[in-house]
Amino acid sequence: MAEARIAVRHFNARLWLSGAWLLIALLAAIFAPLVAPQDPLAQDLMLERLPPFWLQSAEPGYWLGTDSLGRDLLSRLIYGGRIAFIVAFVAASVACLVGSALGLVAGYFGGWADRIVSRIVDIWMAFPPVLFAILLIAVFGTGLGSVIIAIAVIDWTRFCRVVRAEAMAQARMDYVESARIAGFSRIGIMLREVLPNVLPSIIALLSLEMGIAVIVEAILSFVNLSISTDDPTWGGIIAEGRLSIHQAWWVLVFPLITLFLTVLSFSQFGEGLKARLDPVLR
Amino acid sequence: MTACLEIAGLSATLANGVRVLRDVSLTVQPGEVRALVGESGAGKSMIGKAVLGVLPPSVHVIEGHIRLEGADLLALPAKERRTLVGAKTALIPQDPLTALNPSRRIGPQMTDRLTKILGWSGEKAEARIRQLLDEVQIRDPARVVASYPHELSGGMRQRALIAAAFAAEPRLIVADEPTTALDVTVQKQTLKLIAAMQRERGTAILFVTHDLGVVAKISQKVTVLYAGEVVEEADTAALFADPRHAYTRALMRATPRYTDPQASLQPVDDAVLAELAAEIATADRQWRRPHG
Repeated sequence: MAEARIAVRHFNARLWLSGAWLLIALLAAIFAPLVAPQDPLAQDLMLERLPPFWLQSAEPGYWLGTDSLGRDLLSRLIYGGRIAFIVAFVAASVACLVGSALGLVAGYFGGWADRIVSRIVDIWMAFPPVLFAILLIAVFGTGLGSVIIAIAVIDWTRFCRVVRAEAMAQARMDYVESARIAGFSRIGIMLREVLPNVLPSIIALLSLEMGIAVIVEAILSFVNLSISTDDPTWGGIIAEGRLSIHQAWWVLVFPLITLFLTVLSFSQFGEGLKARLDPVLR
Repeated sequence: MTACLEIAGLSATLANGVRVLRDVSLTVQPGEVRALVGESGAGKSMIGKAVLGVLPPSVHVIEGHIRLEGADLLALPAKERRTLVGAKTALIPQDPLTALNPSRRIGPQMTDRLTKILGWSGEKAEARIRQLLDEVQIRDPARVVASYPHELSGGMRQRALIAAAFAAEPRLIVADEPTTALDVTVQKQTLKLIAAMQRERGTAILFVTHDLGVVAKISQKVTVLYAGEVVEEADTAALFADPRHAYTRALMRATPRYTDPQASLQPVDDAVLAELAAEIATADRQWRRPHG
């Protein structure tokens, strides 16, 4: 009993900490024009490579320093968060909807539906994901929409596999049989009985996928295949920071920390939420 | 008088042609409890599932009839059959945990059948469920109805499921090893409860079990099943007084007795099993011939 209580408190801590970071980052991104201390695109060669605030020769108002063109790093990170969150929410949601729907049908109905979906997933997963993304962007052209499509197209299989396995396990439960005897249709049972039991896993995975989408977007920005280079993106800033690592380490380190905390928070938030939503663990 | 349930010559196979039910015939008269006994894998649950129309997709009924109050279930279109079975039968499941949806509250799960099949209003169904929960001696029906399955003990869950099974006044209840998953201390109470509710209402029960002790307590008639084949059928009292088939006698020797705890249990004799295997092989040969 005592162990269970400790476990619950532990889950809560990670739920709240990760939730707090995500909320701060999200609010900063939404209200970027109000929050950002400087214009993220304003270049000033007089202010190039200013160090972060605690070092000597730092300028007030440029808290995390500036890059080699004199642009404010904190402001760029805040604006970069906009792209990161848009990609995270939209791409992960699309992947989740497509993957979960197919997984649910395959897992619950089995038979031919399962065979067809599973083969598609197998074939899909044989493509190396980053190369696949680069290929897709080569086809669609760069831009926010292309990045979102690329991530959704690649990662729906993740949802599909997990939801299929869970739906399969649930479909074997006696309560599904009872619902059949009570006269419910197969689709009705799938949505009313099976889906709610798979939902905690879907939500955990959705949150995890948002973190993955943030990383993929950063990778694509890093290789300059995301959106136009004018808009700051975390991956883009990291790419620039890499070039000036010896003169201005902060341009590389701060976006990496931001990326790391955000991705970690997404995955921890998902796990915490799952523990909260699961009626048996709750 | 029409039998409540009449199964005649029911045979079923798996996709690979292995027979799981061999020419099974049994009847359950109105108000009667018929026990269906056998070891695991004998096909006793399969018969219950066949009646309720929830056989796994890998099992195919190839011949025979299942008549529910005279209506031939296997000849009915799927939808009509579902409605008829839903209205006239109910299931008391083996495992009260997996038989309830973990993410839904108990109340709505219990009223589902009443509103869906019998077309009752929500309030009427709820009132009925409360009354039944009262009858199965659940002290705080309001709390139970609002609980999730994992918040109740196994015995409580099983009592709620028994209440749900009797709620729509079914003519026939299929009880699929309803005490097997419970603690020994709860088993006896649960059995008494089912027996009492059955007597009061005169519901017919097809009681699937592997436990001869349970058979003796609850049933009037027994059908003994081995490898999908009926090996003996008798009144319960007669069966215990004078088991005819060697397998039934062997099964009885393999049952623990509280009256004689020192006596060691006898596993079913190999000779008996060999004889049964030969019997079944002959039956299968005869069965294959006319069917090609």
